[in-house]
Amino acid sequence: MTDLKKIFHVKGNDFTHAGEASVNIKNMLKSIGLDPKLIRRIGVCGYEGEMNMVMHGGDGTLSIEINTDKIILYLDDNGPGIEDLELAMKEGYSTAKDEYREMGFGAGMGLPNMKKNADEFTISSKVGRGTQVKMVFSLNH
Amino acid sequence: MKNDNKISPYLIFDPDICTGCAACVKACPTKAIRIKNDKSIRTVDYCITCGECVRICPHSALSSDIFDMNQIGNGQISVAIVSPVLYSQFPEMLPEEILTGLKKIGFDHTIDLSRYTELFQYATDEYIKRNKISNELPTPLISPICPVIIRLIMVRFPNLLDQVIPLKRPVELIELEIKQQLSDRFGVKKDLINLCNITPCPSQKVSTHMMKLSNIDSSVGINKIYRKLSQELEKMEENDTTSLHESYESARGPMWGMSGGEIAGLRTENTFAVSGLNETITYLEKIELGLFQDIDYIEFRCCPEGCIGGPLTVTDKYLAKNTVHKLVERFGIGRRLSQEKALRIYEKGFFFSETKPSELTRIFGIHKDPLSIELLKKMEKLLDIIQGKDCSVCGAPDCRTFAEDVVRGKASIDDCIILKYRDADTDEQIKALSLKS
Repeated sequence: MTDLKKIFHVKGNDFTHAGEASVNIKNMLKSIGLDPKLIRRIGVCGYEGEMNMVMHGGDGTLSIEINTDKIILYLDDNGPGIEDLELAMKEGYSTAKDEYREMGFGAGMGLPNMKKNADEFTISSKVGRGTQVKMVFSLNH
Repeated sequence: MKNDNKISPYLIFDPDICTGCAACVKACPTKAIRIKNDKSIRTVDYCITCGECVRICPHSALSSDIFDMNQIGNGQISVAIVSPVLYSQFPEMLPEEILTGLKKIGFDHTIDLSRYTELFQYATDEYIKRNKISNELPTPLISPICPVIIRLIMVRFPNLLDQVIPLKRPVELIELEIKQQLSDRFGVKKDLINLCNITPCPSQKVSTHMMKLSNIDSSVGINKIYRKLSQELEKMEENDTTSLHESYESARGPMWGMSGGEIAGLRTENTFAVSGLNETITYLEKIELGLFQDIDYIEFRCCPEGCIGGPLTVTDKYLAKNTVHKLVERFGIGRRLSQEKALRIYEKGFFFSETKPSELTRIFGIHKDPLSIELLKKMEKLLDIIQGKDCSVCGAPDCRTFAEDVVRGKASIDDCIILKYRDADTDEQIKALSLKS
């Protein structure tokens, strides 16, 4: 049974507010006293996902599900989708526009970083339709 | 009669002046203030002495508890410990002239804190270098200098205390021995030596939370001595003694008071500086989120533009900055102390604070019990019901804080103006939450 689910909307190209959803999620997890190291892993994943949506994904949502045994992050956007998923998962591969790289983003570490930090990582994407990511963080050590 | 009362180690509140506007409630970065209809203001234990509430109160109902200069008793030797910020306050004068001026207004001796800021910078570089090998603390490392920031981290970001480097601040480095040295020099007993810290920072005076300045006897704001000192300096200027001081060695000290001045004096390159309380909070949020792990060290100052923007300064902070820039241009920021000697005392543990920053929260008992998932869920539901506008009529800074107060049993549903006049439907929803009243 899901204990708590919360959905945050993320707007494409809105760099002013980029990262706010992740900060909110982080602060929720902080308020229930979750282990700081785990919060950091979840924070990084949320932030990378949020930035991906802001840069490529168009509008979308970042959701969190808090269960007694695990925490799940969902990314769901209606952006351009990813053509070659295998390539996109490689470190250093990036399709970010030059202007974003100049801002310090788009180093091609987003998806691989998420995969590295989550206990379970699944991604599905359709060109022209959007991308969905599910990341699970186990609370049982 | 003035109906003052002290509501934190730092804050004095006058309920007769307070209109209950809640500006302070909203301004507080640790959400420490609640205000009720009867204008009773109360702080929970989280005052970090930042002074935001004092600055924002439109009626001056809040003030900070600032000490006056101690009366120097007969036979006492008064020693000024001089914050380098003082040098930014007099555009036409050189640091050495300002020190001379201090002697003319009654100090028997002056100690330039710049010596200790330089030592601190050597120690910081060394600590960062060693930490890269030992990986003892997670990066980015955080500057321990600003007392308000350290308290902010204790209260709002305790997870980040691990990243604060455990070194003493320059003013804490003033050794006990200095009293012995001075007592020998002036031929008086040690307890007749009065060390007086001349500072831009009201927060230094609050000796709670590790910021205890054990070797300092008193503190005085730059603003308290400014007039007397500037009169004296004007006289000196007329007598033109400046040629004596053309050989001033380095503007590294004056630079310290400016945002970025601490890191500019470091060998470590992968650093940045943040100033202002809101900016600081934004960056601490990001660090807690896991960003900037590739940065070695971050300087934080709660005052805009750094300590030159401190509440006890007199000169406009941007003009002060200009003065510092001119000094840097003229004298550079070369080092005056030997690294070898600094490293030798580093090995002996001279720089390390007795209390590790990571132990502060435990020691000072600032601890908020975590919410259960069940309570967090109730809190989120309550927020959905309120759909509020953060009006603060309830006395809390925002709806989220109010909702948390409610589920923790510290506020009543009826404090909320939206919930107070609820319809039957909403009442059902609230009853379903079965909150403690």
